[in-house]
Amino acid sequence: MSEQNTLPSYGYVGKIAWIDLTSRSFNMIPTSDYAPKFIGGRAIATKIYWDVTKPGMKALDPENPLMFMTGPVGATGIPTGGRTAVCAMAPNNLPEQFCWGNIGGWFGAKLKFAGVDGIVLVGKADEPVYVVIDDGEITFQAAGDLWGTLTHDCQEKLRAVYGGDSVSAVIGPAGENLCRNASINTSNDNVAAKAGFGAVMGSKKLKAVVVRGTGDVRPYSVEQVLKLRKTMGDPQRKANPVEHLDRCAFRAHINFETPPGAVKKANVSCSHGCNMRCSLFVLDTKSAFPRKYTNQVHKCIGVYAFQMTEDCGMSPTMFFHTEKNHNQACLGQGAQVPPPPDTSDPHLEELTTRRRGSDMDFWDGDYDRGNVINDLCTQYGIDKWDVIVWLMTWLVMGKRTGVLKDVDLGMEIDPGSEEFMKHLLEIITYRKGYWGNLFAEGMARTIRTLGQEKYGDTIYKGIVSNVVPGLQLDIPISFASSWGHSFHWQGRGFQGSTPPGGYLSATLMLMTNTRDAQTNSHVHGTLDYMKETMDAHKACRNRKVAENAFMGEIKAEMKECVTCCDLQSPQIYWPDMECRMLEAATGVKMSVDELYLACERSKNLFRAILMRDSDRSRAQEEPEAYRPLQYPDCEGQVVEPEEFSRLVDLYYDVWGWDKETGWPTRETWLRCGLEDVAEEMEKIGKLPS
Amino acid sequence: MNEKKQGIKDRPAEELGRHIIQWDPDISLCTGCGACEIVCSLIHEGVSGSRSRRIFFEHDSVQLMHKVYACQQCLDHPCYNACPKKDSAMCIDPETDIVYVNQDACIGCGLCVRACPFEPKRLQLNRNKKAVKCDLCRGRENGPACIEYCQCLAIGMSDDEPPVPGVIVKD
Repeated sequence: MSEQNTLPSYGYVGKIAWIDLTSRSFNMIPTSDYAPKFIGGRAIATKIYWDVTKPGMKALDPENPLMFMTGPVGATGIPTGGRTAVCAMAPNNLPEQFCWGNIGGWFGAKLKFAGVDGIVLVGKADEPVYVVIDDGEITFQAAGDLWGTLTHDCQEKLRAVYGGDSVSAVIGPAGENLCRNASINTSNDNVAAKAGFGAVMGSKKLKAVVVRGTGDVRPYSVEQVLKLRKTMGDPQRKANPVEHLDRCAFRAHINFETPPGAVKKANVSCSHGCNMRCSLFVLDTKSAFPRKYTNQVHKCIGVYAFQMTEDCGMSPTMFFHTEKNHNQACLGQGAQVPPPPDTSDPHLEELTTRRRGSDMDFWDGDYDRGNVINDLCTQYGIDKWDVIVWLMTWLVMGKRTGVLKDVDLGMEIDPGSEEFMKHLLEIITYRKGYWGNLFAEGMARTIRTLGQEKYGDTIYKGIVSNVVPGLQLDIPISFASSWGHSFHWQGRGFQGSTPPGGYLSATLMLMTNTRDAQTNSHVHGTLDYMKETMDAHKACRNRKVAENAFMGEIKAEMKECVTCCDLQSPQIYWPDMECRMLEAATGVKMSVDELYLACERSKNLFRAILMRDSDRSRAQEEPEAYRPLQYPDCEGQVVEPEEFSRLVDLYYDVWGWDKETGWPTRETWLRCGLEDVAEEMEKIGKLPS
Repeated sequence: MNEKKQGIKDRPAEELGRHIIQWDPDISLCTGCGACEIVCSLIHEGVSGSRSRRIFFEHDSVQLMHKVYACQQCLDHPCYNACPKKDSAMCIDPETDIVYVNQDACIGCGLCVRACPFEPKRLQLNRNKKAVKCDLCRGRENGPACIEYCQCLAIGMSDDEPPVPGVIVKD
């Protein structure tokens, strides 16, 4: 591919809207200023951030550019192209750092139909506003009547004004009140939540962005697009009825009696053009608000609001593949139905044997309570991971260890109680009292404020391994991983079933990130890789683990640049799928190596921002990522610091980074076509000799 | 099967021809991917976009109970009757009795859209002010593309047997 930055006339729509809320004005900048060198989505957002921000900026400063960026595949009809990157300095990271999110729904596709590849929101309005993008025309409207509304109510009010073909991205009261764990929401439950970008919108007094677009997006090859619609995610072509169940059976271990007829479920797509329909859709659920019933999408973590008595049991097929049987990561989490297995596979039994990591007995099954918690988080606009995985488990373990005996939350601490959870989420969202204000700062800052040693590191002794019968798995009462985020495939806590090849790779990915990375880079590998890395100590000497993390991160960049969904990619046995997507959308033919290099460029520029703004280095990130590994996995394996260090050596080598500092070498910058970044790094003394 | 509820004008079934319908959710729930209108506009106009579609996917952004609307292929052809250039712009296929549009002759007056008795309207003017209307992908070997590419079998032909839930369809 030519390095000349000539924008293809297909796939992209050619403009990015720069929207200044302070002056209530906008201008259009050409997408060709960035693409195709920075392919799209997150890569373009990273480049813009590198160009326009300076060290010292805070997440809630007006200068923080909040960006929604689509990719060239978006809205062309290529499956899952509707995903959209959301990037800015993140308030819920600890410390605040440049961060990314990825939101589904139809918002990104509508942006392209409205004539823009993305939007950059800067400044701060003097009173609540919402922005309307209507076929390229941008206006600013007073949001006084919308301020205070719940996320679904807000979307419905805007839809009543702008019509059924409009789509909006909104914040709830949590974002308005600058809760650091606040989400941006669109559709039923598409959120950019973990980074706390809802608070960034709130700080700009921006309640919503409404988009209406009747324009066209022209792909390079209709024939190739149609072919991809049949080959990606195949085979999943079956009817999708609403199932009427008399028991709640969301996952294997979540299965309890519910009121007769209470469960009606099906599956829905979560973005424009999606062919995966992996989102679990539950109809007529109990609402937390006067609305009597509501339909809810449940993804991933939402199902834990129903029950948490056992580890997130996994079977290898969810992550580790053979040529005959390969699924997307976590498929099955929310009772999504994977394709029927190929029974001629000699590895079928190994692939499908469920590994149950540990028992924890945190809260019993309660269908209504689970729905109410999910509804509260969605409608207030608050991150479910911060609440369900971290706050609720912390309250349970903190209470059982006696750490919280002097804490008065206004009600008896009981995360298994619907009434308690309603009370808790209300005081957080509206920042009521000392505790409401504290929890609204997010769990990472809550524990830091209270005192790490007692409120974070006190050991809970109530988790027992299912793999080694009777083995007690000591774990701190705070399920903290790195950068202000909670456990996610760390092989400990509620996800002890993840084997070493998975959790070591996930930890490396987390190390060089700024947030939980296992939402866009779920670990994938071959079954052989998993079997070769079951011994954690040997795995730390195995270059394949470092290469697995590298592949996961490159593919994550690819997904967020092109764009497509984490449950669509990677296909281990279809390595050039993303190349085919890019070609069908734009006509640009790239080999796998060329696309890898483009994604390396994006990742390294991300690293440059962290080095420039957040003093990122090996000395900072290695101990930050190591922390969970000091506790036993479900087989009792503990990774020693020097073992992890050896693995980090291998990992930096794979990336072409200096082992001592973790900084990219001049050769790496040049290989990625980032000569200007190399010069900047030399200027600030961060170019290894 | 829900067409009567969806349309403001309650036309008896005997006045409707063979047309595309959305199955009841108990048979197959529309997932909201929009593949029907995406492939419709791609195949007919080479682009993805709402102004080029012949089938109308109405996205329910919060409750996710999406609707798909298509031309009912009325046997009394009100759109054809309203066309000032009938048999030149709006034409009737002699073999199938389906109304189709010859865009070269269409003058973009919009009378056909106004004459459509359904709400939302089942045909529209595209970006070039030419009428676009579902003709069941007239002449296409595999029949209507929207049905072929609906991966969850949420739409079908009005006189088809509904799909059996859970059955994998092989191409």
